[in-house]
Amino acid sequence: MEVMLTVEGLKKSFKDKQALKGISFEVRKGEIMAILGPNGAGKSTTIRNIMGIMYPDEGSITFHNHQGKEIPRNKIGYLPEERGLYKNVKVMDILLYLADLKDYPLDKAKERILMYLEKFDLAGKEKVSVEELSKGMGQKVQFIGSILHEPELLILDEPFSGLDPVSQELFKDEIRSLADKGTAILLSSHQMNLVEEMCDRLFMIQNGQKVIYGTLDEVKTKYANFKCTIRGKNNLSELESIPQVQRVEDKDETSILYLDQDVEPTSWLKSLPEHLNISELKINRISLHEIFIDIATNKNLIQEAGDLDA
Amino acid sequence: MRNSMKIAKWEIKRNLKNKSFVIGLFLTPLLILGFGFLGSLFDSDDEPAETTVFVNDQLESFDMLAQTVDQFELDWVLNRTELTETDIQDELENGENVAYIFLTPEAMESGVIPVYTTDEIPSSFSAQVQLLSGPLQQIRIAQLDLTEEEIAIISSGVVFEETAAEDYGATVEQSAVVENPLEKLVPGIFAGIILFAIVVTGMMIFQSASQEKKDKIAEIILSSVTPGELMNGKILGYFVLGIIQVLVLLIFVVPFAAIKIDEPVIEYLLVPETLLLVLIAVLGYLLFAAIFVGIGATMADMSTSGNFQGLVMMLPFLSFVLIGPVLSSPDGIVAKVASYVPFTSPGVLIMRLTALDEWPWIEIIIALAVLIISIVLFMKLAGKIFKVGILMYGKNATPGEIWKWIRS
Repeated sequence: MEVMLTVEGLKKSFKDKQALKGISFEVRKGEIMAILGPNGAGKSTTIRNIMGIMYPDEGSITFHNHQGKEIPRNKIGYLPEERGLYKNVKVMDILLYLADLKDYPLDKAKERILMYLEKFDLAGKEKVSVEELSKGMGQKVQFIGSILHEPELLILDEPFSGLDPVSQELFKDEIRSLADKGTAILLSSHQMNLVEEMCDRLFMIQNGQKVIYGTLDEVKTKYANFKCTIRGKNNLSELESIPQVQRVEDKDETSILYLDQDVEPTSWLKSLPEHLNISELKINRISLHEIFIDIATNKNLIQEAGDLDA
Repeated sequence: MRNSMKIAKWEIKRNLKNKSFVIGLFLTPLLILGFGFLGSLFDSDDEPAETTVFVNDQLESFDMLAQTVDQFELDWVLNRTELTETDIQDELENGENVAYIFLTPEAMESGVIPVYTTDEIPSSFSAQVQLLSGPLQQIRIAQLDLTEEEIAIISSGVVFEETAAEDYGATVEQSAVVENPLEKLVPGIFAGIILFAIVVTGMMIFQSASQEKKDKIAEIILSSVTPGELMNGKILGYFVLGIIQVLVLLIFVVPFAAIKIDEPVIEYLLVPETLLLVLIAVLGYLLFAAIFVGIGATMADMSTSGNFQGLVMMLPFLSFVLIGPVLSSPDGIVAKVASYVPFTSPGVLIMRLTALDEWPWIEIIIALAVLIISIVLFMKLAGKIFKVGILMYGKNATPGEIWKWIRS
């Protein structure tokens, strides 16, 4: 797949705090690439550096398909994390203004605005003043503003925050269909379930550093080991002595056994001691959500798995 | 530049569609006219039209007095009366704007003519009544039986004619030209109005920049344009809005002034001097616009502006403080120094150039150079502050932080 954007060795410091410590990744045509990480990990800083709203101390950002040093702003759609709209203007006016700033032909923009308003259940709202919209409606208008000019690269910073589940689905479907039409999409989020459902590749970041980078499948097979949850009172040291158990988390009467990467669930189950007190037993993979929580709380669950490069 | 134009166009359109801006647009000239109208109301209350003057004429000189009154266009109604000085007390106590003049042979001889007035009498009356002394003096001289030459010598009096070194070579015709004060005043007032209107409109830049932050749209806009383009677009847009305000003002005020003031105001306006004065006003706008846009970007909210920001907002009004000293001595030290201080120079220059007969070109050129250099400097500083400030959410920047952005 054709690479649209390459970020290499990005470093950025604020005062004495180093916000980005050498971030490298790329975004390809027609894929959804997610930047994940807890609050303050450096997601928005990375994105702002790409957009030229901040300037990196070190490292390079390359837009392929584009000659010259300047950022091809007309070909990028951007939905920032801190976003809003002018209050006392009409929906149609502000969307046309945003399209005009991107040098998109206005008659075409007008058609697309009406089409998208319809699609996002905002039909007939084009003459309504922005201040009369609800927060969710406002976010839909902002989203329309970022995709109106048919960008080649779409950067979405926390696109789902503050949306109800129905709107989240709407956004998800639209983002997916844009990617299918060939748009390169870079999105940041901390809503793991959504990311897990839609992204092709992901880049997890913590304290300005790369933690995981790879395709969703790779990440899942590499990091999302099996875990076994047992309800019932058992001896901790006995649980830890079961083969292929990496570590055990014990809380109340529930123990979670984290298993080795190459474990075979069926044969492993057979190796369980017969006298274990089991009132309930569950075996499943560690979810992206748990990996995320682990990273955010510095438990280093995946430390042993090592690096994985895509 | 194209993007700046788009932003300027947007700011203009957005404001012209905003009700409160449009109301303000028309309210300003109406307020000015309203105060002008109120003023003239008070004027006519203070100075009633006419004074009724009764003359007890025992010298057969009433016609001559009437002639003099006509000649000086005095607002008098002249009447003859037979009342004597002892009869008029009641009339004086109950009347308003009434005067009695007694032209008696005794008075003529002594040269002191008794005039009685009511308590209410226009303040100008005592000066006006002195105008009658000339013709009456003629009558006294005529009674002396002198030759015509003697009469001419006595009545011509002695006058000092003064010629300053400067005017020594000047021809008589030039010094005889009567200068109309309005002719010089009109371009100055015009430029002053422009400066005031666009600076006041320019203050909206400040609001616009901080609103951009409050509405959190800055980052969306900055994904399409550079901070510099956004800033320039705003400065340009609000300049046009200011000019629109001036135009609306002129449409209202000029016809009114043309009717009220019996002078060819438009003719006075269309002189080359106006160009320079307007240029000064525009430069003044650019300076304050740069300051406002920079400071606006440091603020999260109008209502929480700190002392520092508030002080900066007062800068354009510094010139108003100097109106007194500058107009009383347009060539004085205060006026000269203030011409070189960028914050006061636009206002002070306009005042000085209006008040001065001879323009001090060297001073003007130096002052303009200082002003233009300051504008370039402040635009650069504002650019730096704007770039960082516009993306800082949730708090006002402190002077210390602003200083750090400038240095970076």
